[in-house]
Amino acid sequence: MLIGVHARRLLLALSCVAKATCVVAATCVATAARAGAQPLPEGPVRLLDGRVALSGEVVATIGSRDEVAWFNYTDYEHNALRMMRLGLTAAWRPAERVAFVGEIRSEDLEHPSAYAAYVRVRPWRRYNFDIQAGRIPPTFGAFSRHAYGTDNPVIGYPLAYQYLTSLRTDAVPATADDLLEMRARGWRSSFPIGSQTPGPGVPMITAFRWDTGVQVRWKQGPIEVTSALTNGTLSNPRVRDDNGGKQIAGRVVLTPGVGWIIGASAARGAWLSRDIPSQTTLPPQRALGADLEYSRDHWIVRGEVVWTRWSFPVPLWPANVDQVGALAAWGEGRYRITPRLYLAGRADRMTFTRLRGSVPKSRAQPWDAPVTRIEGGVGVYLQRNLVLRTTVQGNWRTAGRVHDRAFLSAQLAYWF
Amino acid sequence: MRIRGPAALVIALVAAVVCGAAGLDWTNEGVTAAGSAVSAAARANGTIRGRVDLRQPPADTLPRTSVTDLGMSAPHAPIDRRSVVYLDPAPRAAFDTREEPRPRMDQRNETFVPHVLAVVAGTTVDFPNSDQTYHNVFSLSKTRSFDLGRYAVGRSKAVRFDRPGIVRVFCDIHSHMSAFILVFSHRYFSVVDDEGRYRLENVPPGTYTVVAWNESAPLESRRVVIAEAGGDVEINFALGRR
Repeated sequence: MLIGVHARRLLLALSCVAKATCVVAATCVATAARAGAQPLPEGPVRLLDGRVALSGEVVATIGSRDEVAWFNYTDYEHNALRMMRLGLTAAWRPAERVAFVGEIRSEDLEHPSAYAAYVRVRPWRRYNFDIQAGRIPPTFGAFSRHAYGTDNPVIGYPLAYQYLTSLRTDAVPATADDLLEMRARGWRSSFPIGSQTPGPGVPMITAFRWDTGVQVRWKQGPIEVTSALTNGTLSNPRVRDDNGGKQIAGRVVLTPGVGWIIGASAARGAWLSRDIPSQTTLPPQRALGADLEYSRDHWIVRGEVVWTRWSFPVPLWPANVDQVGALAAWGEGRYRITPRLYLAGRADRMTFTRLRGSVPKSRAQPWDAPVTRIEGGVGVYLQRNLVLRTTVQGNWRTAGRVHDRAFLSAQLAYWF
Repeated sequence: MRIRGPAALVIALVAAVVCGAAGLDWTNEGVTAAGSAVSAAARANGTIRGRVDLRQPPADTLPRTSVTDLGMSAPHAPIDRRSVVYLDPAPRAAFDTREEPRPRMDQRNETFVPHVLAVVAGTTVDFPNSDQTYHNVFSLSKTRSFDLGRYAVGRSKAVRFDRPGIVRVFCDIHSHMSAFILVFSHRYFSVVDDEGRYRLENVPPGTYTVVAWNESAPLESRRVVIAEAGGDVEINFALGRR
C-alpha cells in the first residue's frame, strides 16, 4: 500500500518533470535556427578595464512539492528542491594585493540579499597569507568550499548542511519531553523558554547564509590553514552579534598528492540568542569535522563526517543533560560517462544523541529523528557552463507525520 | 502543468544558449571544399602572405570569481589569441598527405599553450600536463567531443581529430582555461607569428578566397588570384569592428 502511494507520487512527479523537460527541449529546437542571436556570456564580464569581474549563477530547480514532510526545506519558506536561485558576484581588485568581493543572491525571486561581502588583503607579497573581513566564506567543512551550481553533483544538499533539526536559537526546551515532542518537526518547532512563536529550527551547519567576521588563511605547499572569528555559529551565521559571544573556527587541509584533499575542521561559538532568559553563561555549539576527496580520470569521490553538540543554559529534566549532539556523514561520487553526460549519487545519514523522557521505564531515544537520504541521478552538459540535472532522492526517518518520501527533481544550472 | 517563474526562466535561458551555440560551433564548410579545378602540374606556384591585425585587442579572460575562495588568485599570463589564415576552397594538391611531427597543446600555469592550434584532419594532438595540479581537458564541440579525465603532471593524453571544423577546448577544473583547435581538410592554412604575419606557400595558380579567423572577431575574406607564372600576393587583414 505504502509502495503504491509512493509509486503514484513518483509517477506524478515524473510526469511534471518530463513535461517541463519537453517544454525546454522544444524551445531549444525552435530557437536553434536563430543563428544571429548573441550567446550568453561564457566567462566573467569585465568592467572598468578589467579591474572589476562580474560573474553570475542561475539555478532553477523543479521538483515535486513537499508540504508535509519538509525534508528539503532550508527554512519554513524555501524548498531546496523547488528553488530559483540567482546570484551575481563582483570582484574589484583596486590593487594587486587588495580585493573586494561580494555576492548578491535571490532565492525564489525574493528581494536580493548580500550573501558574501568582504575585503581580501594579502599583507606580504612573498607569503601566501590572506586576511578576509566582512561577510566571509565558511571556514568549517568541505561542502562549503564548493560552488553549488558548478560543483554539486546532485541537486539536494547534504543533511548536515540543510536538514533542520528541532533546535532553535531563540527558544529552548525546559525538559527532555519538550525536546522529544519536537522530533522531526524542525520545519516548525516551539519550546516553552524564549520565543513563543513557532518557527524553523537550525541545521548543523547552514549552507544558505554566511557569517560575519575576520578570517585568516595561510597556504604553504600541500598545507592550507584557515581560522576565523565570527559573530554567529555554524547553525546560525549572523551579520550582527545577538549574544555577545564569538565563534572561533579552524580548518586544516592537506593535499598529499595530486587528486587527494584531506581536511579537518573545528568550531566553537555561543549559539543562543541573549533574548532567552536565565542564561548566566553563553552555551556553545561545538563541532568537529573531517573530510576526504579523491579524483582521478573521470571519477570524483568525496566524503565528510560532522559531529556537533549544542549546550543548553539549564539541564533538561529529568535526563539532566545540558547538551545534545548530532552526527552526520555523507559520501558522494560522480562519474563522467561521456563529455556531456555524468552519473552521480550521494548517500547521507544523520543521527542524534539519545535522552530519556519523563515516562517511567521508557527507553532513551534520539532527541530528533535520525534521517537517511540517498540521491542519485544524471547530469547533461548542454554547454560548458550550462548543465541539466535530474535526480531521484529518497528520505527515511524514524519519526514525524511522514517517515519516508521520495522526490524527483530537475535542475538547470548556468554560470558565467 | 502551469509554467511558473522558474520554468519560464529555464526556457528563456536554454533558448538563449542554443541561439548562441548555433554561432559557436562553427564548422567551416569552405574548409571541406572539394578543391580547385586548377591543375597544379607544370605551372609555377605562388605565395600568399601578409599581416593580420586586430583593430581592438581582445580582452583577457578573467578567472571566474568564486566567493568561496579563501585567498588571492594568482595572476595569469595574458593569452596569445593568434589569428589563422586559410584558403577556401583549397587547391587539389592540398589534400596530399605528408608526415609531420605530432602537435601538442600543453597545459602550463593553468593555460593551454598554444591557445590556438591549426591541424590537418587526421592529426593526433598530445595534451601533456606540465602543471603541478590536475587538469581535465575536454571539448563539447560537434567537430570532436572528448573528455580526457583528470590526469597529473608529467602525464599526457592524445586525441585524434578527423573532422574539419573548430574544436573548443576547456579544462573542467579551471574555468578560465580555454583554447581553439582549427581542423582543416587541407594544408593551406597558417597561424600568424608574433608580428601577426602569415604565409601560405606553394599555392597553385588559380582564384581563391583567403579567409582570416580570430576568436574575437568576425571572419574576413578576400579574393586572390595566383597567376600562371606564380609569384607573391600580399593580402592584409584588419579584423574586428571599425
